[in-house]
Parts: sequence; C-alpha cells; structure tokens
Amino acid sequence: MTSFRYALRDTFRLLFRHWGLSLLTLVTAASVLYILGFTGLFSLNLRQMISRVEGGLVVQVFMKKGQNADPVVALVKTMPTVTSAAAVSPEQALEKLRAKLGNQARAVTLLGENPLPWSVEVQVGRAEQIAPLVRDLIAVPEVEEVLYSGKLVERLTTISRAATTASGTILVLAAIISTLVIFNTIRIAIYSRREEIEVMLLVGATRTYISLPFVIQGTLLGAGGALLAIAGIWGTYASIMNAVRTSLPFLDIIVDRRTLLQFFLLLFATGATLGWVCSWLAVSRFISRASRAK
Amino acid sequence: MDIRMAGVTKVFDQDIVALEDVHLSVDSGEFLYLVGTTGSGKTTLLRILSREYIATRGQVTVGDRNLRKIGRSELPFYRREVGVVFQDFKLLSDLSALENVSFALEAMGLPPRIVQNRANEVIDQVGLWRRRFLKPPQLSGGEQQRVAIARAMASSPSVFLADEPTGNLDIRTSEEIMKLLLSINAAGTTVLVATHDRNMVDAYRQRLVELHNGRIRRDERRGRYLLDDEL
Repeated sequence: MTSFRYALRDTFRLLFRHWGLSLLTLVTAASVLYILGFTGLFSLNLRQMISRVEGGLVVQVFMKKGQNADPVVALVKTMPTVTSAAAVSPEQALEKLRAKLGNQARAVTLLGENPLPWSVEVQVGRAEQIAPLVRDLIAVPEVEEVLYSGKLVERLTTISRAATTASGTILVLAAIISTLVIFNTIRIAIYSRREEIEVMLLVGATRTYISLPFVIQGTLLGAGGALLAIAGIWGTYASIMNAVRTSLPFLDIIVDRRTLLQFFLLLFATGATLGWVCSWLAVSRFISRASRAK
Repeated sequence: MDIRMAGVTKVFDQDIVALEDVHLSVDSGEFLYLVGTTGSGKTTLLRILSREYIATRGQVTVGDRNLRKIGRSELPFYRREVGVVFQDFKLLSDLSALENVSFALEAMGLPPRIVQNRANEVIDQVGLWRRRFLKPPQLSGGEQQRVAIARAMASSPSVFLADEPTGNLDIRTSEEIMKLLLSINAAGTTVLVATHDRNMVDAYRQRLVELHNGRIRRDERRGRYLLDDEL
C-alpha cells in the first residue's frame, strides 16, 4: 500500500515534471486513437449498410402441386444461417398477387381455381450464405423451384467480402501503427528518465516499484488520449450525421446513441489498455536492459 | 558481512582483462583500501561486489550469498545490504539533498514517517542539515559526496563500497569524508574504499590491497601507499 502511494505520487511527478513529454504523448495518443476510432466507425457503418441490404434478400421456395410447406419449414429451422422463414399458403399468395396487381386485380378471377402452390420465404443474414442454402433446398424432393436474385447475391457477396477484408486490414494496420507510435512515445519518455531508473536499480528498488509510476502514467495518458479522440470523433461524426440526413437520407449510417456509446467505451478501453501495455512493455524492456549485469 | 573472492577474473569485450585470478577475503567489520593506478581494476572489483558486473570466472560470496546465483527478484534486496558511493555520485539533480536520500528509502517500500526520520538522521550525520533542501547543482563537490554517502548509509547496509570518495576534493573535505567512512566502519559495517588518495591512505592507516594490471600485488594489514618506484 505504501509503495502504491509512492507510485501515485511519482506518477503525478512524472506527468508534471516532464510536462512537455506528457503533452506530446497525450497528443500522439489522441491523434492515433482518432484515426483508429474513425477507421473503426467507418468499418462499422460499412458493415451495417451491407448487412441491411443482405438482410433484405429473400429466397422463395415453391412447393410441388399438392405439397404443403412443412418439409421446407422443418428443414430451414435446423439451419443456423436462416434468420426467418415464413410459409405462404396458396390463399395468401393469391391475396398478395391481387394486392400487387392493383387495378387489374379482377383478372385473377379469370384463373378460376387458385393455381398458386405453397411457398416459403426464407431470409439469411449474409449474402454468401444464400448459395449453399439454395443447394440444400433444391435437394428437397417436395420442392418444385427456388427463386432468388442470383446476380445481386453474387455481387453483394463480393462487395461484402471485399469490404470486410479492406476494413479489417485498415483497422489492423491502424491498430498496429497506433501501438507502435504510442509505444515509441512512451519509450522516449522513459528514456528521458534513464538516469533516475538506473539509480533506483542501484539503490535496491524492485522492478515493480520502478515500473508502476510509468505504467500508471501510460494508462492515464492512453485513457486521456482516448477521451480527446472520442471528443474529436464525436464532433466530426455529428457533422457527418447532419450532412447525411439532409443530403443523403437513404444512406443508412449508425445514429443509434447506444451503439455509439458502446463504441466510444470500447475506444476508451482500447486507449487505456494500449497505454498500459505499451508503457509496461517499454519500461520492462528498459529495466531488463539496465539491470542486466555486464 | 564478510566478502570472499576466489580466482575471480573479469574479461570485457575485445578480450580486455580487468581482473585476473583475484583471491580476496574481507572479514565482517573490516576496513579496506583498494589502491592502484587508473585501470588497475579497482572499480571493476567494486562493481562485481555491487553486482553491476558478473565475474567471468571464479566465485564471489558476500555473506551467505553467491553473487553469480542471485536472481532477478533477489537482487534489489541484496543491493539494500550493500551501500555504494559511486565515483560520479549518481545523484538526481532535480531532487534536493534530503529527497535524494528519501528516494532510496522509499524504493525499499518503507512508510513515509520512517523514511522521513531516517533521511533526516543520516543527512544530519553527514553534516548537511542546513543544506538539506538544496539540489545537487547548488552543492559543492564535497557536499554532493556527502549526500551520496548519506544515501548509501540510509539503508544501514552491512557492506559499504566507496569508489574514489575523496577524488577531486580538497584536503579538509577529504578528511571529513574519511572520518565519516571510518565512523560507518566503527558501527560494524564492512567498508571497501577504492582510492588513489595517498594522503588519506597514509593518514588513516588500514588494511591496504593494491591492484596492478588486474592482479593483487600487495595486501598489507596497515599498509602505506607506495608508488611504483618505492616498491
């Protein structure tokens, strides 16, 4: 407990005695976390837009004459990729047809007996899950025909895969760059106090005693940087939201405050964790080198 | 604590031999001068004892500790038992004299009240009570040396190592420093002083070990400092 008290005091000494370096670390952390956070938010939005389009895709399964939809409903219920499946009776199908035809609805009466079969409308979460689903459905003996927008699905699958890969890559790159920049800035801060650390080692300070102020300082600067980045991202994103609402209202970007709050909490935790891990790594490496007997 | 060195050799990169086959026994509570010309191996020997260096060959024990076998977690505790006064003092320039001493005690995890009392006590012992709030750049060389001694004394070590404690100091200040070291020894601490201050060695005769080219050339009970042409 006493050591922790000293560590806290030394943390604030570190922060204010070398305020220039602290400020540099804070600004660096804020900048890289801003880029990281914005990349993340962009990826989330892209993923949401694609998901919305993908979620709207419907596979229509038509049963053979005289067959009801039970075998297909039973089958799709066992498939984890299926998000919804609704059986449509011939009567419901006829009603839908009438509604679609509008003014020409009377033409339907010319058909006499309802010629429409039982069908099932199946939805999946991702476009790439449609092809295997269609293969399974066609194999069901009671199924007459399976209809879906093949070309659109293929294109969406390609776009979705490319978007996932691109945003994932950018995110990973941004994370690596953020880690390296924060790590090196903290390393410079530690290096500027090498003399003090060496003396501490020589007078018998433990590694934990020496590291703790640096680790607390790194965590605080990481968290502080994240707060600044969040403020910056929020400011920018709010203006983007306003612009999109006015100029591109069909664009489905994330506006849900709960989702945004969760995202910002994650960014805050990332900043604090990055600061903690980077400072711990940097100070541990430094102490290991400094305390290695020659 | 006693010190035992058996067949100690220290070779640095590029085959520079700093110490060669050194056998040395220092009993607990003994005072010993390490003398010799620059490059004779005095500082290397002290650094092996403070565990900054590890001997290339041979065995070193301080008390019941084999220095080669001291682990990473045990090292800080060993260093608290060995007070070291470095040739370049190694004081932190942005801390006051008192803080430089407190800092070493805090590093041991002692409670603030004990740290404060002990730091005040040793600062007073080295005669710097009135200068305790000054920072090293505001102190003279002799005063800085005394702060370094106070810091090394603070943890009440069993072994005290001083590297050129009177180097670059005037005779009067050197005498004060020597008296301080003798008083530390009088309290039962084993003291090793590396020096080439002939005046001090001859004025305060103690056991003298002379190193020459990394080897022990002389080991005398109450030896005098002799130059090469006097041997």
